[in-house]
Amino acid sequence: MEKVGFTTTIPVEAVFAGGHRPIDLNNIFIMADDPAAMLEVAEAEGLPRTTCGWIKGLYISAREVETDAIIAVTQGDCSNTHALMELWQADGRRIIPFAFPYDRDRDLLKLQVHKLIDALGTTEEATIKAFDRLRSIRAKLRRLDALTVDGKVTGAENHIWLVSSSDMNGDADIFEAELDLFLTEAGKRDSIADTGTVRLAYIGVPPIFNNLYEILQGAGGHVVLNEVQRQFSMPYDSPDLYSQYAKYTYPYDVFGRIADIKEQAALRHADGVIHYCQSFCFRAMEDLLIRRGVKLPMLTIEGDRPGPVDARTRIRLEGFVEMLRDRKERR
Amino acid sequence: MAVGIDLGSRAVKLVEYDGAAITRRQAFDTAAFYRDFGRLKDGTLEVDFAGIGINPAGRLTVTGYGRNTIKVVGAKVVSEVKAHTVGAVRQSGLKDFTLLDIGGQDSKVMKVSGGAMEDFAMNDKCAASSGRYIENMAAILAMPLDELSRHFTNPVRLSATCAIFGESEIIQKVAEGVPAEEIAAGVNLTIVKRVLPMLARYPDGPVVFSGGVARNTAVARLIQETTGRKVVTLPEPTFNGALGCALLS
Repeated sequence: MEKVGFTTTIPVEAVFAGGHRPIDLNNIFIMADDPAAMLEVAEAEGLPRTTCGWIKGLYISAREVETDAIIAVTQGDCSNTHALMELWQADGRRIIPFAFPYDRDRDLLKLQVHKLIDALGTTEEATIKAFDRLRSIRAKLRRLDALTVDGKVTGAENHIWLVSSSDMNGDADIFEAELDLFLTEAGKRDSIADTGTVRLAYIGVPPIFNNLYEILQGAGGHVVLNEVQRQFSMPYDSPDLYSQYAKYTYPYDVFGRIADIKEQAALRHADGVIHYCQSFCFRAMEDLLIRRGVKLPMLTIEGDRPGPVDARTRIRLEGFVEMLRDRKERR
Repeated sequence: MAVGIDLGSRAVKLVEYDGAAITRRQAFDTAAFYRDFGRLKDGTLEVDFAGIGINPAGRLTVTGYGRNTIKVVGAKVVSEVKAHTVGAVRQSGLKDFTLLDIGGQDSKVMKVSGGAMEDFAMNDKCAASSGRYIENMAAILAMPLDELSRHFTNPVRLSATCAIFGESEIIQKVAEGVPAEEIAAGVNLTIVKRVLPMLARYPDGPVVFSGGVARNTAVARLIQETTGRKVVTLPEPTFNGALGCALLS
């Protein structure tokens, strides 16, 4: 079994089909004991301070987990990944490129998945079998998401489970067993949300901060939607592998994301939206399109390095939740 | 007696309000305030309110950056945006407006409808749209802040990507022989350009101006010129947040 890292969510079914251990390098980085130290190592080696913290974290994470190969998403994520691939290549790492076609072209997507299957030394048949296997886990993640809307699962728990679904923590069976236990326990809880609770939609890439959800909850906000994390879990009960990755919004244009955010925010009765942008990320430019499309109060925040939310962002978050509560009480 | 304190990044503002009028207003340098009136107790910074002549048993509301880092016993804590909205509604007598606050280290815009805040926007992580930028540039020009705040004609174009690196740009303009008045106007216009995208988000009603930078008449005038909107500068722009706190006590 080889350790196969990846830079963002990819058709993980192919990795499992090949009998390999999938490793989402983002999760390795952010769950490390001291992720900020990884950035310092990357910067000491010469990576610019004005570059995405996640990219620098991934760079060092791949080294720490000693991956045998890394699937790098060359289209559908960011161009920083290209330079990251080159850095890894210079380190002698095996790189498997993967591209989500911009226009969701089904033939191109199929071709990319086939190339990935070949690179991982497996077959389409085995990958489809893995798809069927993971489908039942994805259904359970949808249940977890529904429990979040009901207030039985916190926004932080939702975040952790859904981001972990990109690689199922490397072992689908253990992941499912732990998920089963969690769902049984959470199903018995009382709801933390009542009519006065401020319901928040979190959109954008997962936060680099380690206490964002804690702050929001402390301010009286309940995160009912984690947009991108939910996308990582492949929330649609798709009939086949290719439909699943064509419906997945994150790697394609922002308009698909906007439609998904609008639909889910309405279904979950969100009072407001928190848009997280990573410092130096191209996605900050999409903020204006999202604002035009999503007609809800929206607070855009920015994070650079791992660690707690800075004082400045914190008072904004608290002020935003307070404002939404006041609005709600007036109506 | 209601007391409001705005624990700002550059200054701590205090207001006492007797239900009809402000009976005391006082501003302290933030660092000096914490040094002279703060004391560390059980790992948190407590403020010696008796030391600044405030009855700690009275009604007290605080806001500002410091509200999460210092412990204010018995005080109610509100967000800055709320405090500013409440203060501005009282000071302006208006119910529907766009509130612009430019303080020491940040700027924010609030949409106020029917006397209540509907939405707000804040500047990005950069001091180039704050009072700190103006202070730094005034120091480099060796021009008193009051004078810099009066110039708005023939503004020189400044890129002002940074409140620190803006300094070398000013020096370059001085070296090129650009009159100091035009550089000062350029500094004021730079601030305006930085807040315009936030103001554009809420295009309705007059712009009510608060915060230390509201005392800069050139900035107020340039906002009026560039947006075509009426600009109402509050009578007590610096103490608006503290007044809002006192009104919420």
